[in-house]
Amino acid sequence: MPAAEPVDPRSEEHTPAGTSIAALRAAIPLFIPAIPFGLVVGVAITDSAMPTAVAWSTNVVIFAGAAQLATVSLAATATWLTLVATAAVINLRHVMYSAALSPRFNDQPRWFRWIGPFFLIDQLFALTSVRTTLPGPVWRRFYLTAGIFYFLSWTTVVTVGLVVGSSIPVEWRLDVAPAIMFAGLVVLGLANRPGIVAAVVGAGVCLLALDVPNNGGILVGAVSGVIAGYLADVAEARRDDRLDTKAAR
Amino acid sequence: MNTLPALAAVISVGMITYASRAGLIVFLADRPLPANISRALRYVGPAVLSALTVNLLAGGRGIDGVEFVEVAAVGVAIAVAVVARNLLAALAAGMVTLWLLLWLL
Repeated sequence: MPAAEPVDPRSEEHTPAGTSIAALRAAIPLFIPAIPFGLVVGVAITDSAMPTAVAWSTNVVIFAGAAQLATVSLAATATWLTLVATAAVINLRHVMYSAALSPRFNDQPRWFRWIGPFFLIDQLFALTSVRTTLPGPVWRRFYLTAGIFYFLSWTTVVTVGLVVGSSIPVEWRLDVAPAIMFAGLVVLGLANRPGIVAAVVGAGVCLLALDVPNNGGILVGAVSGVIAGYLADVAEARRDDRLDTKAAR
Repeated sequence: MNTLPALAAVISVGMITYASRAGLIVFLADRPLPANISRALRYVGPAVLSALTVNLLAGGRGIDGVEFVEVAAVGVAIAVAVVARNLLAALAAGMVTLWLLLWLL
């Protein structure tokens, strides 16, 4: 995801309308890459073992693309517990966003501290975490405008995918699209070498653990991958420290 | 999956999603995460998404569920994602590979 450039504070500081327009202008480019993802989620809803209306309600109840896609596509093979646990693990990255933005929420009104986090998807985090120097009310308006924009456009795109997807023949094998989507998301999310270690170990262990009942292999793979990534990170930091000490001599 | 268990699953996932987004903002304002935890959290994304990819390829049928055409499509998508850094290009390349192989084989 491209880093959003901090908007010139002068353009947003004065009028509420100006802030909202700036928020939309910043939000739209980041939404474009999410469009195919939304379409895939819509198609997956038509394929889902869940009733279509319930699968569609993930837009409003969950509002998190990866967790929605996992929920609707695992419904056929996973038990209730595995499904919920997998989505929970997928969402753990949001804890990082929450941690990073929490200082910015401290001086905000209570209603916003409760409602704001619902909209906290990757794109909104990317936009608002680089604008923390805006005055409180301006930042809040910026956050809510972009958040509501993402909520409405995401729901629209998924619904379009649902309508289009139900008229596409089974031979097109759109059921493979979620796996391709997740593989692409992994690659685009890789920022460093320990990330690659985490991904390879996660996939490898899940492959070995495919016979674990109730799709438990996902969790076994995920936990192994996180541990491997963490250890690789620690090892890399140690090595860098050693190199730094040598260079300093 | 019947309506009721499906709805229960969706609401549970929704509550967990909200909790992971709101937890630190609503309840633990101004208390930073321990460094070790945030270090480990960084690797949750790659680990769980790659495990999920493998699991979806198997489709609940163990190793027998992994089809060659699917693996090839995902492999091409990964290669395109590495080179182009673009999700749409990766998805398109993967699907086109899948269709070509299904047509050829």
